[in-house]
Amino acid sequence: MDILLQLLMSGVALGMIYAVIAFGYQSTFATSGTLNFGQGEALMLGAMVGLSLSGDILGGPFVNYWLMVPLVLLFGALQGAVVEFVGVRPAIKTKSEFGWIMSTIALGIIFRNTAENLWGRDDLPFPSPLPTEPIHIFGANVLPMELMVVVGAILMMVLVEMFNRRSIYGKAVVATSSDRDAAGLMGINTGLVITFSYALSSMSAAFAGVLIAPITLTGASMGAVLGLKAFAVAIIGGLTSGLGVIVGGILLGVAETTTGFYLSTGYKDVPGLVLLLLVLAVKPSGLFGKTTIKKV
Amino acid sequence: MLEINQLKAAYGQVQVLHGIELKVPKGQVVTLIGSNGAGKTTTMRAISGMLKPTGGTIKLGGRSIAGLPAYRIARIGLAHSPEGRRVFPTQTVRDNLLLGAFTRLTFGGKRARGDIRGDLDRALDLFPRLRERQFQLAGTLSGGEQQMLAMARALMLNPDVLLLDEPSMGLAPILVEEVFHIIGRLKEQGMTMLLVEQFAAAALAVADYGYVLENGRIAVHGQAEQLRNDPKVRAAYLGIAH
Repeated sequence: MDILLQLLMSGVALGMIYAVIAFGYQSTFATSGTLNFGQGEALMLGAMVGLSLSGDILGGPFVNYWLMVPLVLLFGALQGAVVEFVGVRPAIKTKSEFGWIMSTIALGIIFRNTAENLWGRDDLPFPSPLPTEPIHIFGANVLPMELMVVVGAILMMVLVEMFNRRSIYGKAVVATSSDRDAAGLMGINTGLVITFSYALSSMSAAFAGVLIAPITLTGASMGAVLGLKAFAVAIIGGLTSGLGVIVGGILLGVAETTTGFYLSTGYKDVPGLVLLLLVLAVKPSGLFGKTTIKKV
Repeated sequence: MLEINQLKAAYGQVQVLHGIELKVPKGQVVTLIGSNGAGKTTTMRAISGMLKPTGGTIKLGGRSIAGLPAYRIARIGLAHSPEGRRVFPTQTVRDNLLLGAFTRLTFGGKRARGDIRGDLDRALDLFPRLRERQFQLAGTLSGGEQQMLAMARALMLNPDVLLLDEPSMGLAPILVEEVFHIIGRLKEQGMTMLLVEQFAAAALAVADYGYVLENGRIAVHGQAEQLRNDPKVRAAYLGIAH
């Protein structure tokens, strides 16, 4: 029983990381119908920049972990804006249906190669800002950092949701998501809103990067698998549902940790991906995906 | 206030507007009538920047706006209540109205802030049904209520010129009457409007001046009064045999 609880808790922490990255996929999909397939690399860059700032690889630490986080968020936002400007904007302008897929993948590969050359190919340890002694909760051992992952992920999503509901700029983002042409008539610069959504998307990935790095290892190749699994989460939960990515993330995270323990770590990715295939077959819009009703 | 010369527009290879000439003087209501497919909605879309014109000039208060993106034209002071209402369904009625005032609420919007709270109140006075439904999602409104919301939202821009595209489309007769009553009230308040309507008789009754569009060209134009009595217009658009 204690073991199961342990697996559940680790699964939830992992799942929240997936949820944060998947949240980034949703953000760009909502405003522009496009996705940044370099999300995993955005996560990796966030972690690497974070390590450079608060680790000792470049002669640092220059700042502590807590000051580093906002700097990494800023970096992530800029990186996302660059991806939109270079890779996505031209495709949207020419109404190319698939151009953005290849260009965001290409940018992701370029970022990974650059990271390999800047920081090397080896995985590096990321110093944990919190004690590495596990805390006992109901008999399970939980790392303080795992708790922070959950709290940080929820905090970020709540903040974005509040921004969308309360501020006029957030309302403009939602309006652009539901009807881009009509939003333009309101005086909203929808192109800028799409750039913003890419900035937000990479920012959430970079945030996920600095949250997960102290638990795992940091390296140029850390993002690829995470980005892909988060994409699966976005599909399972639904590309339009905020609650969906949290539930989907936790489902996938828990499926991984329990399978890894009870069956074999070699199979830990299978149940989640089977779930993905099932969802695609039964409810292609995702578990929580909405189909909007349009009045004529 | 709004001056259009030789306006041309196309959807892909298909030329839809072949050089429209049209004027909307300040404080007047001008209506654009014509059969389905004549190019009424295309004209509106080309003016507001939803569609990029392929030729001609458009001047709003002396400033050239042809070819600008829609959001910049809105910031200069043109509001467009588009065909099909296009309200934001997942947001509340109140949020829709605030989005109408986006250019006044934001730093980059460039329009004078003015009395937004008061304007919101006045818009809700004009459309009392919307006041009752302020905190409901726009997607849950009936078609008629959505139309009123689209008009109220456009008014929230505090526009110099208001474009109304088929405000009566799909509405019950009693609501059509209400919509025209409101257009009349806006006219009394001095609002400059360009109105596209299928109910040509009602449109000509409220308008000062009218243009008849046929196959992407202006066929006839004149004082609304004069058009109402023109036998050809009566037969073709008002459904009255002479």
